[in-house]
Amino acid sequence: MNEQQQSAILLSLIEHLRNRRSWCGETHVQKATYFLQELMGVPLNFDFILYKYGPYSFELSDELVAMRADSLIRLSQSPPYGPSLVPGIYTEQIKKQFPQTLKKFEKQIDFVARKLGEKPVSELEALSTAFYVKQHENADIQQDRHVQLLRNLKPHITPDTARRAVNELRSVINESERLQTT
Amino acid sequence: MMELAGRFFDVVTVDRNLTDKVRDIIPNPEDLHYWRRVLRMAALCHDIGHLPFSHGAEDLLPDNRHHEHLTVDLLRSDEMQEIWDSMIPPLNVEHLVKVAVGPKVLKDVEFTAWERILTDILTGDALGVDRMDYLLRDSLHAGVAYGKFDHYRLIETVRILPSPEENVEFPMLGIEEGGIHAAEALLLARYFMFTQLYLHPIRRIYDIHLKDFLKLWLQDGKFSINLEDHLRMTDNEVLVAIQKAAYDTGHPAHDPARRIVKREHFKVLYGRNPDDLLINRDASSAVYEAACTQFGPEHFRHDAYKKGNTAPDYPVLADDGRVLSSLSCSRILAELEPAAIDYVFVLPELSKEAHKWLKTNRETIIQPKVEADS
Repeated sequence: MNEQQQSAILLSLIEHLRNRRSWCGETHVQKATYFLQELMGVPLNFDFILYKYGPYSFELSDELVAMRADSLIRLSQSPPYGPSLVPGIYTEQIKKQFPQTLKKFEKQIDFVARKLGEKPVSELEALSTAFYVKQHENADIQQDRHVQLLRNLKPHITPDTARRAVNELRSVINESERLQTT
Repeated sequence: MMELAGRFFDVVTVDRNLTDKVRDIIPNPEDLHYWRRVLRMAALCHDIGHLPFSHGAEDLLPDNRHHEHLTVDLLRSDEMQEIWDSMIPPLNVEHLVKVAVGPKVLKDVEFTAWERILTDILTGDALGVDRMDYLLRDSLHAGVAYGKFDHYRLIETVRILPSPEENVEFPMLGIEEGGIHAAEALLLARYFMFTQLYLHPIRRIYDIHLKDFLKLWLQDGKFSINLEDHLRMTDNEVLVAIQKAAYDTGHPAHDPARRIVKREHFKVLYGRNPDDLLINRDASSAVYEAACTQFGPEHFRHDAYKKGNTAPDYPVLADDGRVLSSLSCSRILAELEPAAIDYVFVLPELSKEAHKWLKTNRETIIQPKVEADS
């Protein structure tokens, strides 16, 4: 996938998230991209590490800056909250240029936006870190251990919240597997 | 930079500047002295991995390595370990490594919140002293005033603050509200330095000629990552080699060396502009590819950079005690667009002909290509 196709997918993800009433700040886009790449297998090739509010990619952050420089996206302010990412003036141009790429991954993008769109940063942090833990442990990790490892990494997440995140992750993974086979 | 880092450290760790939400991450007073020294040593050494001419030809390191990887190797070397061991108390080299290069380079290493704050003091995009230092240094040496800003005032207002996001814990560096104008001045200084100095087309083409030279002069076209070789290779060795090659017509790297020494650099054929971007976001690539097809790739160079000078989102401690996003506190921080360039350069001898060709064909060349059915 080239850089322009990558931009087209990120742009589509931002549009889908906004349609699902996401605040769509950088953190929302970071976590959604993480799920899109790692769970749904969209080959964006970003390197994620455990950093700001869970899995985070410095390369993705740079790419979002480059997309701003190209007016593909812009920042929209709603003080006192942080900025949202919204489509810029050249959005339509790139969508018209990469219809096949967007069509190919439409189902995956829509799924991620549907599952994450309405979540605040705190829930995204818990869910994405739970997924990060699962990726770095064995596939059959027991629920209690999963909760414990999540809380080791993020001690401020309460046991209830961690348990909810782990359960929700299982359901999201199951649903994604069904989607991928249809 | 060591001095800026030390000053920064003193401001953010003094008790009166800490809020209850972040006080826990500060080490005990008896350990603070150790960490201050770690920070200052990391500041002193963080760029020792730099190659000749700094970033100019960094992509000639093998295996996607960066100068920070050489910094890490040097910090861990036996020779430097002796220095860390001789200090009182001895410094743990892994602490130095983490603080000097940060999580962006050490992707598989776990950082505590405190270590993350310390490396942010040095390497952070938003308020890191490395950025402050290079702006002040480069503006001084380039003889331009627009890289200056009130770093004394800015550093006086830096704080460790909780995240502005609700129900998450991610202490980070921010500023108190009174520092917002100094932070704006820092961003404007960076904007002007990027647009008028770092990304100036003539400066950029000399980087390209330098890389062209090094590819032909270095063994296998790459820098060595052997530490002894790295330490022996300075600007001086490269300058001497360029000078020799420039006057030796039989030297394989004669052409790029001559262009540097005799100022016969490639000229700008095309640069990004709003009218063409409306038609094709990647118009420069289209022009470059068409020019290469028409005249031959050896006559052209393409140079794009779109990742400089953005305003990172960091917390601001408002006068009423709330923690807000910097981008919601300042229209200047929020609305300054990232600096971006996208140039196609042409061989000077071909410049006139290529410009004429581009003038005739530009509209056709920049039409976007729609991807075909797979």
